Amino acid sequence: MRRREPETPVVHPDEEDLLTLRELAELSGLEQALIQELTEAGFLTPAPGRARVFPAPSLTIARRAYRLQVDFDLDESGVVLALTLLQRIETLEARLRELECRLGQ
Amino acid sequence: MQYKDYYKILGVERGATQGEIKKAYRLLARKYHPDVSKESDAEERFKEVAEAYEVLKDPKKRAAYDQLGSWQPGEEFRPPPDWEKHFRHFEFDLGEGRADFSDFFSDLFGMGRRSAEGGTPFGARGQDIEAAVEVTLEEACRGKQAEFDFSVLEFDSGGAARRRPRSVRVRIPKGVVDGERLRVPGKGGKGRGGAADGDLYLYVRFRPHSLFRSVGHDLYLELPVAPWEAALGATIAIPTLQDGARVKLPPGSRSGQRLRLSGKGLPRRGGGAGDLYCVIQIVTPEALTDRERSLLQELARVSAFNPRRHWKGP
Repeated sequence: MRRREPETPVVHPDEEDLLTLRELAELSGLEQALIQELTEAGFLTPAPGRARVFPAPSLTIARRAYRLQVDFDLDESGVVLALTLLQRIETLEARLRELECRLGQ
Repeated sequence: MQYKDYYKILGVERGATQGEIKKAYRLLARKYHPDVSKESDAEERFKEVAEAYEVLKDPKKRAAYDQLGSWQPGEEFRPPPDWEKHFRHFEFDLGEGRADFSDFFSDLFGMGRRSAEGGTPFGARGQDIEAAVEVTLEEACRGKQAEFDFSVLEFDSGGAARRRPRSVRVRIPKGVVDGERLRVPGKGGKGRGGAADGDLYLYVRFRPHSLFRSVGHDLYLELPVAPWEAALGATIAIPTLQDGARVKLPPGSRSGQRLRLSGKGLPRRGGGAGDLYCVIQIVTPEALTDRERSLLQELARVSAFNPRRHWKGP
């Protein structure tokens, strides 16, 4: 049976609350140790002045890290490397698009 | 229910070694994993690949699957009547990660959880669903209603997994940008044992526009101008996503220069808007009338302008 549901408003992750380290680990599936490693590597940034509390958009990055870890069977340094390279590709692609726009291509 | 040939999906022989299966999976994962792939059907393909690997990587599950015999992919299929009796001791990682498997998979293996431990199923957060939503630039300006049909994995009171169709209507607010992720709380799979329901994540992709390109909230428009417009200056009516505007082309404009129209880009959440950049492109007429040709020839004769002055030598 198909359920017809009322229209649902979406949530912009940056308008949401904070997540504790434990909540972030539970929701993403990541080990707390890897979350700390991702934090040291600069992929996750704790809320200002609070070491073990994260803004909710961190969940998107943490879930991506979890998918990469599980689907490619990566160890911790592999996850950090994959995220580093993906981020660099995304930065370059954004730059490329911007330049293409400027050139009017 | 349709039979799935997991060997064919991974592109290996039925007699493949575990090593060959792993190798085939890794190759396909690198090609189709939605986080790294640029293929348009990456998400769907990867789901199939992950499901096939989930079964074939484990010798016990693989042996059970092999017992079904050989069917044609897509062939109408029923599990043998005594299937459940023999194969209900599997532990599957259905609650987390890649849970969006096919009916074929959940009918065969989803029932494996039932009463395996003889107790009540443990609590687990509902499945998260990810879906892409295509948005035009016009829709990004005014918002859009979108409907998503998908199926989620749910567990009955006995702990058996079933896929249920679900339909969710969502209001995409104005102000989204290409690549943005939105969360629709509680619209994924049902949680078990009092745990929270999963969420629906929407990945916003802009449909390419015939005139405008977007970078964040800024828009870029190619502005073709005639050589004399560029040289003399002109006021030019341009299209915008709202109701059009006029730009003043200064005398002596060059190709590639950008004219900024503040606030004529995409609206931002909570007010304001990005900018619209018109990128000047000087174009020449494809065919000249005799009169145009003689005027240009005269201009060529009288003008001292040398566009290659900065080159050394002749």
